[in-house]
Amino acid sequence: MLSIDEIDRMILNRIQSDFPITTRPYLSIAENLNLSEDQVIKRLKRLKKKGIIRRIGGNFVPEKLGFVSTLCAAKVSQGKIDRFARAVNRYPGVTHNYRRDNKYNIWFTFIAQSMDEIKNNLENISQETSVKGIINLPATKMYKIKAHFDL
Amino acid sequence: MLTELDKRIIASIQGDIPVTERPYLEIAENLGISEELLLKSLKNLCDKGVIRRFGATLRHQKSGYGANAMVAWQVDENDIDIVGEKMAAFRAVSHCYRRNPKDDWPYNLYTMIHAKDEASCREIARNISKDTSIDNYTLLFSREELKKTSMKYFPTGDDD
Repeated sequence: MLSIDEIDRMILNRIQSDFPITTRPYLSIAENLNLSEDQVIKRLKRLKKKGIIRRIGGNFVPEKLGFVSTLCAAKVSQGKIDRFARAVNRYPGVTHNYRRDNKYNIWFTFIAQSMDEIKNNLENISQETSVKGIINLPATKMYKIKAHFDL
Repeated sequence: MLTELDKRIIASIQGDIPVTERPYLEIAENLGISEELLLKSLKNLCDKGVIRRFGATLRHQKSGYGANAMVAWQVDENDIDIVGEKMAAFRAVSHCYRRNPKDDWPYNLYTMIHAKDEASCREIARNISKDTSIDNYTLLFSREELKKTSMKYFPTGDDD
């Protein structure tokens, strides 16, 4: 599956959240783990190159930036999936889009400045692709959101 | 309220931070501000909860979590907070949200489950079901990734 050793594992477990806000963040991480800064930097470069790390950066709460977010689903026939996906993916606010095995087979997330903007976009997508009945399912309560994976 | 500088700072860390000795110095120079001001502003954005998580995002498939399932549950509205909290407590659950049911879609609670393979996802869903006595649920495995990216807030025009 993957060729990471114990030190990689320690670094990956440390770096998924609370990335240090210090002049030398990789030195801070190295100190936390009893490693050298050079070691941490070399290994992180390798982990990125191998594709185990997608990116290092900030993840935001859309609502705190004045945005809204939602989850949408549609029933799209096999022959129309490519076209529908292209129409949906064109919007920069669509950040995730998956085909799933269900009668509602296309699921995507949508972030925009307002829910009206999203509704308008969904109508346009519907018209353009003749896919009716896209359901819009904004979260009304959040019980958990985490993205830290113990390795 | 976010200042114009906050927005530029957010835009500067929503991509990929350099893996170099002084990544913030590099970012600050690009923004035309001091490293000190950048660090102060970032701490402030974290404290305000604007930055939900600051760090590395992994590719699950490559880090031992080969399968993920979205599980949609139909829960009595009177119990939804209790059930939501209970589901959230499962380690394998990364996200747990309430959403309104819609048309022919009766489900009102959603969990994302991550595990090493599909069988494990199913087993975790069965355990959650047993633990919460919620029997009406459906697992939606992803069969194809059509898009996966992170949101670009406040684009400056010189992004990629």
